[in-house]
Amino acid sequence: MTRLSDELEALAGEYALGTLEATDRSRAEALAATNPAFREALIAWQLRLAPLDDTASPMVPLPTLWSRIESLIPLHDPKSARGARPSRLTALWESLGFWRPLGLASGLAGLVLAVALAMTIARGPLKPEYVAVLNTGDGRAAAVVNVYADGTVNLIPLEDIAVPQGRIIEVWTLQRREQGPVSVGRLDRARSLKLDLKNLGKPEANHLFELTLEPRGGSPTGKPTGPILMKGLAARSI
Amino acid sequence: MPDLARYGSLEAAILACAKGDRMALRAIYQAESARLLGIAFRMLKRRAAAEDVVQDTFLTLWEQAHRFDGRAGYGRAWLTTLLRNRTLNVLRGETRLDLVEDFEPLGLETPGESAEDTMTRLSEESALKRCLEGLEEARRKIILLAFTEGLSHGEIAARLGTPLGTVKSWVRRSLLSLKECMG
Repeated sequence: MTRLSDELEALAGEYALGTLEATDRSRAEALAATNPAFREALIAWQLRLAPLDDTASPMVPLPTLWSRIESLIPLHDPKSARGARPSRLTALWESLGFWRPLGLASGLAGLVLAVALAMTIARGPLKPEYVAVLNTGDGRAAAVVNVYADGTVNLIPLEDIAVPQGRIIEVWTLQRREQGPVSVGRLDRARSLKLDLKNLGKPEANHLFELTLEPRGGSPTGKPTGPILMKGLAARSI
Repeated sequence: MPDLARYGSLEAAILACAKGDRMALRAIYQAESARLLGIAFRMLKRRAAAEDVVQDTFLTLWEQAHRFDGRAGYGRAWLTTLLRNRTLNVLRGETRLDLVEDFEPLGLETPGESAEDTMTRLSEESALKRCLEGLEEARRKIILLAFTEGLSHGEIAARLGTPLGTVKSWVRRSLLSLKECMG
């Protein structure tokens, strides 16, 4: 078998390790489907690292878990039982679908929430493209972030916020986990505010917004340090 | 009670699932669910989310069993990869909703079980343990955190206070040394 370049070997290793970002993961999956040497390298990496998975303490699932699975199986008949059976040789890797299985429960919940939010909030003459409802720790909706087509992003508090002496409210957004939260505004009290996202991408679905209490002048570290007042995810309006 | 032994091997049971044998799925569940839940819980740190991932993994196994090539000794790693990929998708924000519900402060995570604790749990005879021990401590820690907690380069950099570029190049070079050492 041809020896892989160090670059591809490391790509296979990082795929098994789990550190790749989305674009590199897709690249590795595409390579595994087309390049037998890469596919073998990837399997070798999975087997090399497998002993580390066995260091996790086993945890017996609640008895209800099997019932849940069993009740969902009829909706998920094996493809083979429905006819057309692809060749086993390449079948495992041929589809990205294998690697990105549908988020069965959670994906649906997200969709339902997005639709519900959009229906509840996105009314009025000027319709925001995205809306985030920020909830407090006990689940009250305490502010809304609206993202408009022209890139304007507004925060609108729905209730007053108690700000202790010497502290301010800082607004953060998290667009990519690698980048971490970025400060997009500061407030001395609850009031509407145009957020400053000019150094960031335009907000999209599932971008996070949150408000924290910080020392006057803003977070000393550039990342949230104080307690979270509220947070929520952006959802596309309809 | 269905028993994996009846199928001879995990690989054979996965192939039986491809033919629509529900008892085979149940047998795999009996044999593997606690191990898989343990792995998902270590990465997600929340039991409900980990159980959701295990549920999705078994449904995916049922649906995708025909894609398994039956290679001897690969069934467990194949099944674990289904779980790990699903878990990483959850961790990397495909379904970040769950994380919001937890209301954990951003960027203020506390370290989980120590990397050295993971090392002590590896079998003394394992080549992986011997070769990990050959890595410098800081680099070994990065590999262990990435794998056992599902951390990205950026999260590792933040957790250890090491520049991102350094983390990326250490991961790469550590993996290549591991391969060299393990063969």
